[in-house]
Amino acid sequence: MIELRNVSRSYGPFQALCDVSFTVPERGVLGLLGVNGAGKTTAMNVMTGYLPPNAGEVLVDGKSLQREPRACKRRIGYLPEVPPLYDEMTVRDFLAFVCQLREVAGRAIPDHVREIIDLCALNEAAGRPIGKLSKGYRQRVGIASALCGDPATVVLDEPTVGLDPRQVVETRELIAELGKRHAVVFSSHQLSEVLKLCDRVVILHQGRVVREAKLDELSGEGGPRLRLRAMGRPSRLIPALRGLEGVRRVRPLPDSDGAVTSCEIEGAPGERNLQARLFRLLASLDAPILLLMPGDDSLERVFLKLTSGENG
Amino acid sequence: MIAIWRRELQAYFYTPVGYVYMGVFLALSSGLFIVQMLAQRSTDLVTFVGLMSYLWMLLCPVLTMRLLAEERQKRTDQLLLTSPVSLPAMVLGKYLAALTVLLATVALTLVYVAVVAVYGTVFPAETATAYLGFVLQGCAFVAVDLLCSALTRSPTAAAVMALGVNFALWMMDLVTDSVPQWLAEVLSFLSLYARNEPFLMAQLSFASCLYDLTVAAASLAAIVWILDRRRR
Repeated sequence: MIELRNVSRSYGPFQALCDVSFTVPERGVLGLLGVNGAGKTTAMNVMTGYLPPNAGEVLVDGKSLQREPRACKRRIGYLPEVPPLYDEMTVRDFLAFVCQLREVAGRAIPDHVREIIDLCALNEAAGRPIGKLSKGYRQRVGIASALCGDPATVVLDEPTVGLDPRQVVETRELIAELGKRHAVVFSSHQLSEVLKLCDRVVILHQGRVVREAKLDELSGEGGPRLRLRAMGRPSRLIPALRGLEGVRRVRPLPDSDGAVTSCEIEGAPGERNLQARLFRLLASLDAPILLLMPGDDSLERVFLKLTSGENG
Repeated sequence: MIAIWRRELQAYFYTPVGYVYMGVFLALSSGLFIVQMLAQRSTDLVTFVGLMSYLWMLLCPVLTMRLLAEERQKRTDQLLLTSPVSLPAMVLGKYLAALTVLLATVALTLVYVAVVAVYGTVFPAETATAYLGFVLQGCAFVAVDLLCSALTRSPTAAAVMALGVNFALWMMDLVTDSVPQWLAEVLSFLSLYARNEPFLMAQLSFASCLYDLTVAAASLAAIVWILDRRRR
């Protein structure tokens, strides 16, 4: 478990992190979210010991990373934004080298490397020089290196950036798999990715934590949003929809006409039965549904709300 | 530290750097051997070793240029600095790798001693003392040049900077006649070449040994300090 306590970090006059506190639980996937320059990479660099904080403390299983760096660093594997790879080495040699760095016993290294190569599906590339691998494979080698020494926590900085769609899916599957055995911290710009992978999220904005929550808590905050198109006059359906229990707001859309109503419906926070209620209401009004689909994502709205304006 | 030493040693020979360094050193020292020893039918190995020491000035930058600069340039320092390896151990591992290649090259130059031994007379004590000075001077040059590699993220800039520093160290010795007495004494005290002279006169100078080792240790300590300060 990693705990950041009131961590601040600046680069000259620029304050990259300011009084940041959050905890990485022992299992599962934690997403670090934020716009560019929010402090995600700095937070990762600090929690892995690459950069010391200017103030505050990082605790790894209760031990201070600043006072006991060796013991703490053994518990953390890190894939930075640019995978730190030696191009002239083969994948197998490189992973063996990282195992040595991470103090894996000499005799155990070949088996450990084999296991990681299998897990990261690197068998085809194992004997090739890293410099000759595709970007997707290089990213996999980077993730594999973060797993050397079987660290309790794996920190991945934007692991899917620059990959093609197939590689993105494969990398996501790998991260989900890792989340079952390790604590995984990963940063991303893509909210859809966070939705698919994370149990918890920490949203950073201008170097501060503006929200730390379980994903379902956060998704429930904005309330569900649906887009509806139904047969019936807007003057009849819109007031009926506004009066429905669990509906917070109804916004008519311009593609409505005299016979068809088109609108966006926002449910109350935590509302889970909105669709069922809509079906029943529209059936009772004899207004066949032509289209009913999810509106914009609630996490996206929460994220935008928290990361816009002076106070986020 | 051993892991880093081994990796760097492999890297010298995975890439052309190690071969270029050893090849050029041996080519130039062979040229010197032909001109200085064979052509003149001389068995004066001490003078020959003294001349070979000028090759450190030219070639040590090749050995050290990428060791730290390239780590920064390719951001592989993130791997090392987030591993359970201390900064001094990391620097020492790299230094020892460069030193190993240097010592291997020195070992190959013993062929010249063997040639002289076959066709003439070798004075073992004098030759060994000259070689000791030669090696210690190499240790100091590698550390100073490694310090240059810690100052930049470009291996080429590191090599040029190291060449300039080595050249300045040599010039310090040359300008002693044209500067005030007190400055000449300071420059002679600091010059790696002036410090090598006792070894070439078959004197096992403790002061010179200590000076070379101090320059190396101070350079390595400065590297650790620089790398640590840069992260803060």
